[in-house]
Amino acid sequence: MTVLFDRPPEAARPVREVAGYPQTWRRTPRAPLVRRPLTLSETTGPLEPARRLRPLGGELAGAGERRAIGQAIRLRLRIVDQGGVPVAGALVEMWQANAAGRYVHPNDDDHAPLDPNFYGAARLVADADGRIEIRTVKPGAYPVPTRDGWWRPPHVHFSVFGRVWLARLVTQMYFPGEPLNAQDRILNAVADPEARERLIARLVPPTGDPYDELVYEHRIVVRGREATPPQP
Amino acid sequence: MIPTPEQTLGPFFLPRFVDADANDLTQLEGRRARGEPIEIHGVVTEEGGAPLENLIVEIWQADAAGIFRHPLDPRHREADPDFLGWGRAATDREGRYLFRTIRPGAPAGRAPHINLMLMYSGLMRILKTALFFEDGPGNDADPVLRCVPPERRGLLVARREAPGRYRFDIRLRGEGETPFFDD
Ligand SMILES: [Fe+3]
Repeated sequence: MTVLFDRPPEAARPVREVAGYPQTWRRTPRAPLVRRPLTLSETTGPLEPARRLRPLGGELAGAGERRAIGQAIRLRLRIVDQGGVPVAGALVEMWQANAAGRYVHPNDDDHAPLDPNFYGAARLVADADGRIEIRTVKPGAYPVPTRDGWWRPPHVHFSVFGRVWLARLVTQMYFPGEPLNAQDRILNAVADPEARERLIARLVPPTGDPYDELVYEHRIVVRGREATPPQP
Repeated sequence: MIPTPEQTLGPFFLPRFVDADANDLTQLEGRRARGEPIEIHGVVTEEGGAPLENLIVEIWQADAAGIFRHPLDPRHREADPDFLGWGRAATDREGRYLFRTIRPGAPAGRAPHINLMLMYSGLMRILKTALFFEDGPGNDADPVLRCVPPERRGLLVARREAPGRYRFDIRLRGEGETPFFDD
């Protein structure tokens, strides 16, 4: 069996135990991870998970009386494999906080208000070119209850199915120019600055079309030496 | 109630993402998969033994004939059309997960097994492991299980509790820690 994917350099992946992130110290295995040969089991993977899952559309911001509060943004994502080959039909799930930094989740506290017009999740299947598009609002930063001054910068979570089990990726997307990016313990758990850059979307210079949304482009590479680093 | 760090640091995999029947691989769109239905269940704990709630477990496996539903499997055209091979479950308050699936056949060169993947807050990368069956066969020769140090191999073997029902507990860290693979 040919090895389909190169392992990313270690500096391009996050460290597993992060100072100031207590859960990582209770959940990261102590024993070294076991290296295994690649068999069909790892070099195949689910291609049709969407047949078990209900779709959730990519229109999160709403309109009119149902318009969510916050800056409307459009995310244009492209999902690619090592070598830039588009992952046609990739299942992509995304979730994010609302503009005030609050998730619709039973475990989120009440540091900020819910928005009745915003749930903050999408589940989409990429087109033949690996592209998906989401209209949402820009997520707010939120304080982490370690209460030691750690705030998560605005970010969007993504879960992506590559074509094989090895390429299953969970990561986050950040926004360019955010002052909190420089201090975030999760983003900066990736040592290689170029790899960190691959986690940050690009603002498309506004052209007036659409006139009322800021457009961000982002590329997610599911595996390989140029892979998008995982994030929890 | 004062929130613990536990409660508010993501990933916040939203409840809506855990579809009610996503843990049942025995049927697809109302048609039953071929083979013997089995149940796999267990508890996921962190260091110190505390159970983890709302942790996401996904599985990937071959069908009853040992075929993966994927074009890289040379036999994929014979794969069971009613078996996707993939499922997702979330742990409950007691840290328990459950899958209903089909006993996998032995893929070429491998013992029957099920791949598992965990995601959760505090896991900077997805954790991947694999489950083997107490009643095998072929565990001793499996090239992946043989990469695990001999004294830890038993931790990847699901215990048969009843006919068609297996228990596979997952300990992320500390005593009895489940072996995980570096991909
Ligand atoms: Fe978050």
